[in-house]
Amino acid sequence: MKYALISLLISGASLWGGNQQPILQPVEFNVNSRYTVESVEVPREVESRISRGLRRDLQRLIGQKFNTQALNDLARRMREELNVRTVSQKVLRGKAPDHVKVVLEVAHKRAEFDLSVPKFLYHSSEGFSTAVDGNVILGNNRFSAGLVSDGDELAERYAGVRARYENRKLGSDRVHLRFEFDSYHQQWNRSTVNASEASAAAGGLYRSRQNFEPLASVMLTKTLTLSFGAGFQRFDTPLPAARTQSANAAISNLRYERRIEGWGADQHELEAGYSLRAATRILNSDFSYARHRWTVRYSVTRGRHSLTDEAIAGLITGRAPLFERYVLGTSSMLRGWNKYDLDPLGGSRVAYNSLDYRYGMFDVFYDTGAIWDAGQDAVARHSLGVGLRKNGFMVAMAFPVKGGRVTPTFMVGMNY
Amino acid sequence: MDIVTRRWWLMASFGAPLTLGLAAQSLGVRLDGDDLRIVAPQFHFLTGKSLEKLKDGASVAFLAQLSLSPEVNAPAIKRAVDRFIVSYDVWEEKFSVTQTGMERGTVTHLSSTAAEAWCLDRLTVGIEGLAPNKPFWIRLELRAEDARDQAGVVGDAGINLTRLIEIFSNPARAQQSRWEGIAGPVRLMDLKRERRGSRSG
Repeated sequence: MKYALISLLISGASLWGGNQQPILQPVEFNVNSRYTVESVEVPREVESRISRGLRRDLQRLIGQKFNTQALNDLARRMREELNVRTVSQKVLRGKAPDHVKVVLEVAHKRAEFDLSVPKFLYHSSEGFSTAVDGNVILGNNRFSAGLVSDGDELAERYAGVRARYENRKLGSDRVHLRFEFDSYHQQWNRSTVNASEASAAAGGLYRSRQNFEPLASVMLTKTLTLSFGAGFQRFDTPLPAARTQSANAAISNLRYERRIEGWGADQHELEAGYSLRAATRILNSDFSYARHRWTVRYSVTRGRHSLTDEAIAGLITGRAPLFERYVLGTSSMLRGWNKYDLDPLGGSRVAYNSLDYRYGMFDVFYDTGAIWDAGQDAVARHSLGVGLRKNGFMVAMAFPVKGGRVTPTFMVGMNY
Repeated sequence: MDIVTRRWWLMASFGAPLTLGLAAQSLGVRLDGDDLRIVAPQFHFLTGKSLEKLKDGASVAFLAQLSLSPEVNAPAIKRAVDRFIVSYDVWEEKFSVTQTGMERGTVTHLSSTAAEAWCLDRLTVGIEGLAPNKPFWIRLELRAEDARDQAGVVGDAGINLTRLIEIFSNPARAQQSRWEGIAGPVRLMDLKRERRGSRSG
């Protein structure tokens, strides 16, 4: 009946113009247009790289009749956002009768080169932190090399080069392989130098550090990924008693990620992870320790409103080098506090929570956390902040909540 | 004048396959009223990448041209062009075809062979102006529509037949699937006239 109607519509004499060219009606010629879309599947490795708007529009196809034009438009948008060679689509039978499942597949460009700035930050008490990477993508292989100078993330400022090779499809889309090599020189804050001389709890200072880290990731399910590998860190202690030490550790990460975008206006995202770095004499390490880290992040978005809560807990047993120790008072954790005032050597225990509310580009956050060592009491600290965020660009002012004179921290940056 | 000698037939019979190469497939020709139609049960275009796309649930547009020429590689003296959109029902595992050119129509629940036959049967060239005793060649060209051609062929005003003819006057793109068949030399006087409308498929 439907096809008779379509034929009637398109073959009507009224469709014919004087130049003998028929006028095309907005008719769906794909026979599958009579079926209802049951689900839309996007490769997991690209899901986080596409915009929220595109994800929402893809989800909106669910429950609608299959529409080739709409799907083509979304595939084109996805190709442009991901800068890939093609985004192909498959329509498969759904679980329910007269329903279909849409599967989108991505083919990367055969060869691609780009320059990226994964981090650019000015922090009023830490100075500038910058990273620049050059990336070459050949099929499923990605090579990157870059320069970095970061005084934000750790107790040290590290500057140097890093190189990485990634295979995004090792026999299967579910298996990724990565090798990373880093070579850094360190600079230390005076507070850290003084604290290091007075404390034996943490490993001493070092002037250079090299890292080699092979890592494999296996996607166990659509939401669960397991990574495992090893990290071989070698660092040189300062003169006059210069010597080389190593911290070689087995690495494992378990990560859960789920995004729920239903029919309602709300979008929920839940991420949870556990990571372990276990350095042992078996790996010929001079240090023996276990570094545990637990993270949970939950986010809900409705229209322009977004609320995110993130909790992190960390524990180090044994004696770990400084780069492994936890730090609060950075541009992303317990913002507003100076990390050197909190613990210039970092801590072996950390507990942290951040509540972040955004309306469009406006951002308000409340951070709370404690950092301490074994045998010490945990002291909770709080901070508040406001900022603007737009397309990876961020500017924020954060205030520590404490008695006495309060010095706000100013941060401006992008892509981190 | 228009006398076909035995030597001419002999040369044509041996020369045509060499000229056309092995890619072109042979066609049957029939006269349906005042229209020439082709019969090509061995001519299959729902194959390869096009078939893969169809099985993946996408619709694939095919551009078709049926042309008459006095010699194998001579310019066409008459032609018909058309555009067919084929899709594959993922539940019923049957093909559906919509003709979107000068004539329009849709058929569903076809096997691949039936869908191909339906498309070919919808291609007709009128015989008016053709001398009954003058030999001619009839050539079928079919291409999977390239995305770059689509904008020129399908516009707000409908199907642009002039643009369709232009496309066939240029070689197919390297990545473009194409099929070709030829029949000839044929004379109208040798063809048995069928009752108009007695179509197959």
